[in-house]
Amino acid sequence: MYAYDKYDHAIVSARVAEFRDQVERRLSGALSEEEFRPLRLMNGLYLQLHAYMLRVAIPYGTLNSVQMKRLAHIARRYDKGYAHFTTRQNVQYNWPKLVEAPDILQELAEVEMHAIQTSGNCIRNTTTDQFAGATNEELEDPRPYAELIRQWSSFHPEFAFLPRKFKIAITAADKDRAAIRWHDIGLVLKQDAASNLGFEVVVGGGMGRTPVIGKTIRDFLPKDDLLSYLEAILRVYNAAGRRDNKYKARIKILVEETGVDIFTKQVEDEWTRTRNDGIDFPAEEEARIRAHFTPPPLEVLPAWSDLETISAKDPKFSSWLRNNTDSHKVSGHRIVTISLKPHGGIPGDATADQMDLVAELADSYSQSEIRVSHEQNLILPHVAERDLPALYKILNEAGLGTPNAGLLTDIIACPGLDYCALANARSIPITQAITNRFNDIQRLEDIGELKIKISGCINSCGHHHAGHIGILGVDRKGEELFQIMLGGSGDADASKGILLGRGFPADQIVGAIETVVGVYMDAREEGELFLHAVRRLGTQPFKEALYGNA
Amino acid sequence: MAKKIKGPQIILANRLDDGRAVFFTPKQNWSYQASDAWLAIDEAAQQQAMEAAMKSDADNTVIGIEFIGASDSENGPVPTHAKHIIQNTGPTVRLDLGYQAEGAGA
Ligand code: SF4
Repeated sequence: MYAYDKYDHAIVSARVAEFRDQVERRLSGALSEEEFRPLRLMNGLYLQLHAYMLRVAIPYGTLNSVQMKRLAHIARRYDKGYAHFTTRQNVQYNWPKLVEAPDILQELAEVEMHAIQTSGNCIRNTTTDQFAGATNEELEDPRPYAELIRQWSSFHPEFAFLPRKFKIAITAADKDRAAIRWHDIGLVLKQDAASNLGFEVVVGGGMGRTPVIGKTIRDFLPKDDLLSYLEAILRVYNAAGRRDNKYKARIKILVEETGVDIFTKQVEDEWTRTRNDGIDFPAEEEARIRAHFTPPPLEVLPAWSDLETISAKDPKFSSWLRNNTDSHKVSGHRIVTISLKPHGGIPGDATADQMDLVAELADSYSQSEIRVSHEQNLILPHVAERDLPALYKILNEAGLGTPNAGLLTDIIACPGLDYCALANARSIPITQAITNRFNDIQRLEDIGELKIKISGCINSCGHHHAGHIGILGVDRKGEELFQIMLGGSGDADASKGILLGRGFPADQIVGAIETVVGVYMDAREEGELFLHAVRRLGTQPFKEALYGNA
Repeated sequence: MAKKIKGPQIILANRLDDGRAVFFTPKQNWSYQASDAWLAIDEAAQQQAMEAAMKSDADNTVIGIEFIGASDSENGPVPTHAKHIIQNTGPTVRLDLGYQAEGAGA
């Protein structure tokens, strides 16, 4: 993975020193809160219901074991012994003290991490496929491009004050695990007829109060032109994006209001004008970055024949193997998803001890590499098949072995009203109630792939618009209600969920989910997944079951 | 800062150094407990309470001073809205954290 050079170190260290000075001036009263607030936000420090919250960037969701150990240490030393992995492949601490925030940033800088551009109207952490560099489904590892984007967008002076925040996602696989079409810019690595690599460029996706699926503005952009083309998009947006109304300031609104054809022409014109201005990285720089992503030296092994025998004897291991491991590009290896969704637990939360353990397991079994998925799980990307039984045993003993990846209880949920100052309703207790009810793995496997996503307000951090079942918490005269939508998807065939009707009180939501699942189970055709059944049936049968014919 | 809401109100802020939710009391200081808060019933009392709270902020210890709705109970004021009740106690999914975990005297 990428390692900082002297410039990266110097920039990040300078930023820590600058923030330390700013915090001191705030605490002394030399800076007012009004003056200080944008400065702390630029360093990822928010103020939430109970305390400050520090959001730390995990570039494209890639961590090494040293970094994970440091994150655990920070959780223990400066926070309350745990951290929360987010839908942006980042990590958040819920209880840091202002006075200690510079020390935390210093600790992060020592392991080549920071919290820069995790807030504010700038280009945020670029996200990608959590299986990047390991899956046999990709054309090539997309992370060198994500790193190029990181370097180009970090402290980019022209794009530090965009109309609104800006999120880029990239994938190199047909199966979209990064919700590409729900981002301000989505990039899909492709090959043209002559086997040249390039990107399909998707623009104007986004969730929030106006959910929009991104539109392709270019079918094929030669890969070497990536940065100049991104710059052209950002320039058009920066100049024309609305600044009068924050709810209409995202690029999705600009694309909708301008019309995708005119918007595309504006981008192409800007690109024609500027593409030779030296924005794209020179080949040697790209090669330098790419060298950091050389695949690990995995031994090519024959498929491990004992795996089936062991699996046949242990149904729990068998479920975990089926649901939480995926095929690897190197024979004899698997990608392991560590579920941070224990039934009855808090999605995305991990204790410091669990984080330390994952780091140790990465050292022992996965080339010291760890990934964070936007679905709030952790990944060990390079595990030899013969190590799987031992790994599973250790994970299971530590509460990290729930075999539910991709199943109904692998729920994405935002922090909601238990932590978040913007929330209308609590997401986590709803998640816990659902996962406590659907806690039988056999039943979950029978139901099959079903993605539930829950947000505590319309800002949609829990991606409810993209849930096969989306749940949105709303506040109706002081009562928390939960609306259900069906048919959303973050995959390559992205779709927006359709609202079924009035919201349910918290104590009725589990019953409502049971009803929805029941309709599916009764109506599904042989092998038909929940999402496909909803698309075939439409929402009417589900509405009738939930609300009657009235 | 002050927000126009109806009915009895108490004043909520976050402590500057650690962000904890605190409530302005009739003793003109800040408490972790909403039950200690100064319940200002009418506009005149609200103005008086807010002026005192702002004055106490001159020593730079709290941020985000605002009125929130509250009702009276035999144990003192209770915030009306779920959000402020949770702020007063802690995350409902982590009873080991926040004021609820510390008990009196925190
Ligand atoms: S969706 Fe709303 S409640 Fe949930 S984390 Fe985002 S802003 Fe907070």
